[in-house]
Amino acid sequence: MNAGNASETPLIEIAGLRKSYGPVDVLQGIDLTVRRGEVVALVGSSGSGKTTLLRCVNLLETPSSGRIVVEGQPFFEIADGEDKARLSRKAIGAMRSRIGMVFQHFNLFPHMSVLANVMEGPRTVLGEADAPNRARAMDLLAKVGLADYADRFPDRLSGGQKQRVSIARALNMRPMMMLFDEPTSALDPELVGEVLKTMIGLAREGMTMLVVTHELGFALEVADRVVFLDCGAIAADGPPTEVLIYPPTERIRAFVNRFHETAAFMKPLMR
Amino acid sequence: MFDWTILVANQHLLWWGLVTTLKYTVVTSLIGLLIGLLVALAQLSRFRAPRYLGRVFVEFFRNIPLLVWLLWSYYALPIFTGIDISKELAGVVALSLYVGAYYAEILRAGIQSIDLGQTDASLALGMSDFQAMRRIILPQALRRMVPPLSGQTIIQMKNTTLLSVITIPDLLYQASYISSFTYRPMEVYTAVAAFFLAILVPLTYLARRLEAKGAQG
Repeated sequence: MNAGNASETPLIEIAGLRKSYGPVDVLQGIDLTVRRGEVVALVGSSGSGKTTLLRCVNLLETPSSGRIVVEGQPFFEIADGEDKARLSRKAIGAMRSRIGMVFQHFNLFPHMSVLANVMEGPRTVLGEADAPNRARAMDLLAKVGLADYADRFPDRLSGGQKQRVSIARALNMRPMMMLFDEPTSALDPELVGEVLKTMIGLAREGMTMLVVTHELGFALEVADRVVFLDCGAIAADGPPTEVLIYPPTERIRAFVNRFHETAAFMKPLMR
Repeated sequence: MFDWTILVANQHLLWWGLVTTLKYTVVTSLIGLLIGLLVALAQLSRFRAPRYLGRVFVEFFRNIPLLVWLLWSYYALPIFTGIDISKELAGVVALSLYVGAYYAEILRAGIQSIDLGQTDASLALGMSDFQAMRRIILPQALRRMVPPLSGQTIIQMKNTTLLSVITIPDLLYQASYISSFTYRPMEVYTAVAAFFLAILVPLTYLARRLEAKGAQG
């Protein structure tokens, strides 16, 4: 939503990122830069490595090799099988606490109320006092339209409501960026809109977002850049129109043909 | 042919035996739970050595008859360690370690039954492994583990009767003592059986109700 400021240091710089599971190369040398305030959509067919790439950013998966630089500071580096960064678990935790993540299957904590879910991060990770934490959590729940659901338990919510709670849970850590892993893929079609709307609002506020998605309409309308992954490599990286309207390769053109259906669906949400 | 009055006449011995049985059940179960949690966490460690040690611990106690282990703890352990161990201590140690191995298996399976997405979500918030375990994984796993844990604890209470062979005055030991001077084994052992049934049948039903509840949520 916000035009990237080229003079600024990128928020995240990924270089030469590889990930293999045994003989299978899931990611084969990814170079990706995300600037502050940028919304980057990661698209591609299933098994192209989108989710693995996303999970490498906050080290839920450990890359086999490559480098991650955060705000100009080297954060993670493995080269020739040698861990150059020698990250402590504490440093990894500290970095994760600044990067929000939203999962396909929500992963709300089922033994906690909605409010407790949203408060859990600051309470346990940052040791924040309950009063300011609760106030901010209630504001966030109001923002995602679920203020009346604070005392419910996750099993009483619809998929769309669960996903909005999980967005609020991530936001309550006041992250510098958000990772979304197919946030609408597990939802009934009629619930997709409410989650996308929440994400659009977030993008408009200038949140830096890296979004793995199959909603090409969202990618076209909301993203500043679309990165197309094919077999663990970046096949295209550019403005949405460049990648999605005038696909540079036949492979992407075939994939994008699916898009026209969802574009129509996105239009009313953008108003 | 029955003479139930001998039970009334010696009831103080039986009550004392029951108290001993309950005491050993509670104490060894609690210590066993702590041991079980440590062994389960060792088995779930990302390092190989504790995983292996945990496995050895569990397999050792699951494949040795409790009676053999108990006698070994009483007679052989003091010789091996060179420390004079009282029979009470030997009994507590033997029963706690034994039930700890079974608890460990229940706890490990319960922890592993929690969806990996819960760990992902915890770590993504910045939690340490320990925080994720304490705040997110264990509270959910414990709920699922209540039925098998109560089942194992019922078995543990029955197993305390073996303490009588190392002359700890539990319910069974007291019964054999009473029958040794009254010559009334029929009445005395009937009473012992009745004590166990009176305590364990209601507990079994309670565990089953918890199981039904656990299955719901």
